[in-house]
Amino acid sequence: MKLEKLIYPFTAIVGQAMMKKALIANVINPALGGVLILGEKGTAKSTAVRALADLLPLLEVVDGCPFRCNPRVRATLCRICLERLEKGETLPVSKDKMRVVDLPISATEDRLVGTLDLEHALKKGEKKFEPGILAAANRSILYVDEVNLLDDHLVDILLDAAAMGVNTVEREGVSYSHPASFVLVGTMNPEEGNLRPQLLDRFGLAVEVRGEDAVEQRMEIVKRRLAYEKDPRAFAAAYAPAQQALAEKIAAAGAMLSEVTYSEQIIALIAEIAIELGVDGHRADITMLKTAIVLAAMEGRKEVKGADVAEAAAFVLPHRMKRKPFAAEQLDLSLVQERVKAYVKRGGH
Amino acid sequence: MPHRCVYPFTAIVGQEKAKKALLLNVINPRIGGVLLSGEKGTAKSTMVRALSGLLPELTVVDLPLNITEDRLIGAIDLEKAVSHGHRACEAGLLARAHGQLLYVDEVNLLSDHIVNSLLDVAQSGVCVVEREGISYAYHARFILVGSMNPEEGPLRPHFKDRFGLFVEVQGEKDRERRKEIMHRRLAYEKDREAFRQKYDPAERALGQELARARQILPDLLPGEDLVRLAAELAVKSCCQGHRAEQVLVETARALAALHGKNRVRLEDIWEAAELALPHRAASLRPLEQLQRRQQEQPQEEKPPGGKEGEQTESKEQTKREAALDPEGTAKHLMSPGREAIADAAREQKEQEQKERETREKVEAPGTTFPISLKHPATSPQNPRQGRGRRSLTRTTSLQGRYVRYRIPTGKVRDVAVDATLRAAAPWQKVRREEDAAERVIILTPDLREKMRERRVGHTILFVVDASGSMGARRRMAETKAAVLSLLHDSYRKRDNVGMLAFRGREAVSLLEITRSVELAQKKLSELPTGGRTPLAAGLELAYTKLKGYRAKDPGIIPLLVLVSDGRANVSLQGGDPLEEAKALGRCLRAAGFSSLVIDTEQDDLELGLARQLAGEMGARYIKLQELRAGGIAEAVRRTLSQ
Repeated sequence: MKLEKLIYPFTAIVGQAMMKKALIANVINPALGGVLILGEKGTAKSTAVRALADLLPLLEVVDGCPFRCNPRVRATLCRICLERLEKGETLPVSKDKMRVVDLPISATEDRLVGTLDLEHALKKGEKKFEPGILAAANRSILYVDEVNLLDDHLVDILLDAAAMGVNTVEREGVSYSHPASFVLVGTMNPEEGNLRPQLLDRFGLAVEVRGEDAVEQRMEIVKRRLAYEKDPRAFAAAYAPAQQALAEKIAAAGAMLSEVTYSEQIIALIAEIAIELGVDGHRADITMLKTAIVLAAMEGRKEVKGADVAEAAAFVLPHRMKRKPFAAEQLDLSLVQERVKAYVKRGGH
Repeated sequence: MPHRCVYPFTAIVGQEKAKKALLLNVINPRIGGVLLSGEKGTAKSTMVRALSGLLPELTVVDLPLNITEDRLIGAIDLEKAVSHGHRACEAGLLARAHGQLLYVDEVNLLSDHIVNSLLDVAQSGVCVVEREGISYAYHARFILVGSMNPEEGPLRPHFKDRFGLFVEVQGEKDRERRKEIMHRRLAYEKDREAFRQKYDPAERALGQELARARQILPDLLPGEDLVRLAAELAVKSCCQGHRAEQVLVETARALAALHGKNRVRLEDIWEAAELALPHRAASLRPLEQLQRRQQEQPQEEKPPGGKEGEQTESKEQTKREAALDPEGTAKHLMSPGREAIADAAREQKEQEQKERETREKVEAPGTTFPISLKHPATSPQNPRQGRGRRSLTRTTSLQGRYVRYRIPTGKVRDVAVDATLRAAAPWQKVRREEDAAERVIILTPDLREKMRERRVGHTILFVVDASGSMGARRRMAETKAAVLSLLHDSYRKRDNVGMLAFRGREAVSLLEITRSVELAQKKLSELPTGGRTPLAAGLELAYTKLKGYRAKDPGIIPLLVLVSDGRANVSLQGGDPLEEAKALGRCLRAAGFSSLVIDTEQDDLELGLARQLAGEMGARYIKLQELRAGGIAEAVRRTLSQ
């Protein structure tokens, strides 16, 4: 028996505009480096992630490949697929949904990176690699709830793989590496402990979510939830046009991404903001620019504007500010606004 | 590997010092590697990985953090053993790294076991495998390159010393350069192939330069005078051991080769010193003076050897020694600390007349200061003490990183399948013949158990005296500052912290054990002071709490930090308040809890009660003022030695 999984439509989620935008931006350009969602429980974080995956177009995958390689990009193929190709085989192609792979905080290291195939080893006395969660996460969304509670060494591995797009295993007699490029979505409640700064920096974007304050909004959430639970199919049907429109928008933005240009002044503006705020390293600058490009593409614009930079800054900077020990943690984005205003005055747009 | 299109080395903007250090190691592997230390996102790993694009024969071998010992050094070849009954060795990652570059990202987070094995091999250049009934050795000489972010915790000094060179990497502050970095990165991500092609000529030119430098290196031998200078520099900057001068000489040779010179020059040694000494020298100040004096003089270079050369050499040496002002470095180091103390004293004087006793108030914390809290139970000899987190415990629970196996002593709970298989492997041929079976036959003596390592911070319980006597003379502000500073240290080391305070009639728990230092900070800032001093109640609550924590997780290493002046005046059971406190102190000691007493007493009329209590508790004792002074001096020293 197969359970049909029904998923709450992404477009039916009330509010949480920042979070939704950050997630969409990451599926448009997975190179942005993932999203860290900071906030309380029960703010539709996990619903949003699953709903978004459901919305996305099917992926072309090599049929039967444990890493679901993309048959069109040779550089990202795994060993097995590459060998098949070199032997002159044509890779069978099938279509598959974008997945959301969960990493529970109780996961062990061998399950995360993969390990020695026990059964095979015992039966045949041969070593074989048994892929882990990182393998399943290739070309998917890897969702880590409460990432700050994950064992430190697991977080190290996770972020290393996320940065390299490759998982390297040198353990328990196994030596293996395979593609592992995924959109990393982590959630955490800062009150329950911090994530080390080095790790914070590896998340491309961060958003803070809060429960909606307005009574109207809260009522709307309850109403929709009730309607959905009463008749999920009818509910989904009602949102089908909106879902379709969003899916098309995402596809269109993705397609035009490489055509979006940015002026010299835009880059100068970003560098100026980064220097004045004294952010560590260069990941912030690069991510700000990349995010601004995606934001422009989402609006169907082929040129990055100052406003895109201002919007990108709000996603990219807050979790990267140098932490003064115990200074009240509140990034003042007014400086960013000022710089952008000055930029517009200088004749930028 | 799917990644062949690495970012071109020549496309990296800035970071000249780090790039040079890497190139020098490629030219002359005898330098002994390089450690890059710096904030996140400063192209540390990009630089290292880019090296593989320069020379076709050079590969960068990654050492993943989660590596197990068998894969690092090697183990029995399972398949051969099972199918043929041969004991053959399958060499580990270090064999692959032979003649290549071994790269450890986040090297400060590497497991201790792995570090030990790695150091052993790095030192001897030979990897010896003695395990599972095999005995095998292979050559493993490699360029060891590590990168780390010091925010994540320090590296063991012994390990640090193994790296020939050290470079502190910083982000670019210049706007134009930052722009260029963004430009290039985006161009690279857009089309890696095209980007690589664009830099291909530059890459090839640099590759040729390196190859040529490698060729002329064997002929570049430094003169006597330069060797002497290197030794002198090492001595003057108080480097331990003899590695410093060797590294200086090797680096200088590589520098001369890189610059295409036909001999090693004086300035090569100076340049080498900047790369080779920072992580070794206790202080770089004598070095700077020496160099300044040198630069003021007209640079006269003498060819190595020859009588004339020797004469000037000895003259130069006397000059150099004169240049070395034997001004104590300690004095220099202490001065900022002293100023701060004087400031603090002045502030206290100003506050002197103000409020006293019972009135309740909330005082904002004073300025915090860098400090490092050492657990009294861990001595430097204790191998458990180490990098980053305070302690490393072998866990008996199933959590933690699997680093190696052992032969089990009792019941096996956590089977190391790989090791068990390897142990069983050589017998398979025989056993199968007896049993006529197809599968692998494992018998009890083959069983191996996993040894796991988990880094645990300490569980620190702060017990803060918030009574009225603490409110006088900004004492509470100072106390809060001290506790905050300790909290900051805890934050870096991932300790769990909890806090309770006592004042008036009772002790209250402010914060259950948590990893959120931020929350602790908030609670502390809001803590009001005033009322009498129920010290015994505070200690009793601490005792109950600590017992509870230990019952919940026997792996924790609890530490109690009592911040008080010891002037107990509220009794718990109607006895003498101070005696009660002392009795509880003895209880804590008997239960095996380590503690630290920070004495906040600063009156002219010292009673020394906290000191007495510390004695009963078997605690380390320190006065509040000493904490501040010592902390600053240490921080300055640390900054200088980096």
